[in-house]
Amino acid sequence: MFTSNPFAELTAFLPPQAMQIYIVLMLFAVVLGTVLDMLHKNSAKYFTRRMAKSKAAATRELSVGKKASIAVKTLAVEVAAAGEFCNPQRRISHLFMFYGFLLYLGTTVVMIFAYPTPATLTPEFLPALWNIGVIMLLIGGYWFFFLLRINVVQDGQPMFRLVLADLFIVTLLGSSTFALVWEIVQTTGNLVWTRIAFGFYILFTTLLFSTVRWSKLAHMFFKPVVAFQRRLEEASGASSMPPPAPQNERS
Amino acid sequence: MPTFVYMDSCDGCGECVDICPSDIMHIDPTHRRAFNIEPNFCWECYACVKACPQNAIDVRGYADFAPLGHSVRVLREEEKSTISWKIKFRDGREKNFVSPIRTTPWGSIKSPSDYDLPSEDDFKSQHLAHEPETLNVEKLPALTRDQLKLGVV
Repeated sequence: MFTSNPFAELTAFLPPQAMQIYIVLMLFAVVLGTVLDMLHKNSAKYFTRRMAKSKAAATRELSVGKKASIAVKTLAVEVAAAGEFCNPQRRISHLFMFYGFLLYLGTTVVMIFAYPTPATLTPEFLPALWNIGVIMLLIGGYWFFFLLRINVVQDGQPMFRLVLADLFIVTLLGSSTFALVWEIVQTTGNLVWTRIAFGFYILFTTLLFSTVRWSKLAHMFFKPVVAFQRRLEEASGASSMPPPAPQNERS
Repeated sequence: MPTFVYMDSCDGCGECVDICPSDIMHIDPTHRRAFNIEPNFCWECYACVKACPQNAIDVRGYADFAPLGHSVRVLREEEKSTISWKIKFRDGREKNFVSPIRTTPWGSIKSPSDYDLPSEDDFKSQHLAHEPETLNVEKLPALTRDQLKLGVV
C-alpha cells in the first residue's frame, strides 16, 4: 500500500494531464499570493529601506567570501535546523513539518510528472518517501496544533477556536490528513469513498496554496532572507543590538 | 517608554506574555506573534524586553524627548549575568551600558517547587516557609506566648 504510486491509480477517473495542470496552477497561485502579500504589507519596500539603512551604518566592508560564508551559515542554522526557535519542542515540531512538507511536495511533483500512469512503473522508494513525508507532517503538525500553539498555551484561547494565523496549519493538516486517508481508502477499491476522500484532499490542498496572501505559507521565503540580512548586519557592524558584554567577573 | 515587538524577529514563543506584570503582552491572532496591546498601560518594567530570547522587543521613546529615528536595544546574556543596553540617538550618537543582572550564577536560586512542602507543625510557627534556613541565619527573633500578655512587650 505504501509503496505504490497513489497518483498513478487516480488515472482511472482523472487524466494525468489534469493533475499536471493543477500543479502548475498551484505554483502560479503561490507566486501570485506571495507577490500580493508583499504588496499588501509593503514588506519589499521596508526591507529595501532596512538594507540601505544598514549599509549606511556599516562599519566594516564585507568581502564576497564572507557574505557567502554567512549565507551558508544561514542555510545551515536558520533554514536546515530551524535555529530561530528557542523552544526545543517548537523546533522539533517545525523540523518535522519542514522536512515532511519538502518530502511530501517533492515526491508528489516527481510522481505526477515522471510516473503519471500505472504503465510507467514508479520506483518503490518514491511512494514510501511520500508516505514518510505525510506522516512527519502529521506528527509535527498535530503536535503544534494541539500542544504548542502559543495563543492556546499562553493566551488560554480555546483549542478549536480558529484565527487567521491558523489558516496555514489547518489547510496543511487537512491536505496531509486527507492525502493519507485517500491513499488508504483507495487501496480498498471503493470508488465512491475514494472520490470523497480525494475531493477533501484537493479541497484542502487548493486552499493551502491559493490562500498565501492571507496565510503564513510565504514565511518559507521571507524568513531565510531576513535571517541572512540580520547576520550581515551583525558582521558589518550595522546591527542595532549592543555588543556582547565583557565577562562578568562574579559570574 | 512602552515596549513594542519587531514582528520579523519574534518567533511567538510567549515568554513576554508569561512575564508581563500588566498582562498587556498578547499574541496577535493574524500572525501569531507577540504584541503590546495597550502601550498606555505599560509599566515600563522592561521584563519582556529582558526576557525575550529573540531580542525582538524594543522600547519606544516618548516623542517629546526621543523623536523618531532613535533605538533602544537590549542584550541579555544569562551565562555572563549581564544586561547590555545600546541607545542610538537620532543625531547618530550612541551610548552603551552594561549592568550585572545578579551576583550569583544564573539558575542557582532554588525555585519554590524545589523545596519540601511545609509540615503541619510548620503552619503553627510564626516563620514563613523554610525560614530561617533560607535566610542563611540560624535563628530569627520570635515572640513567645508569655510575651504576648498585655504590657509585657
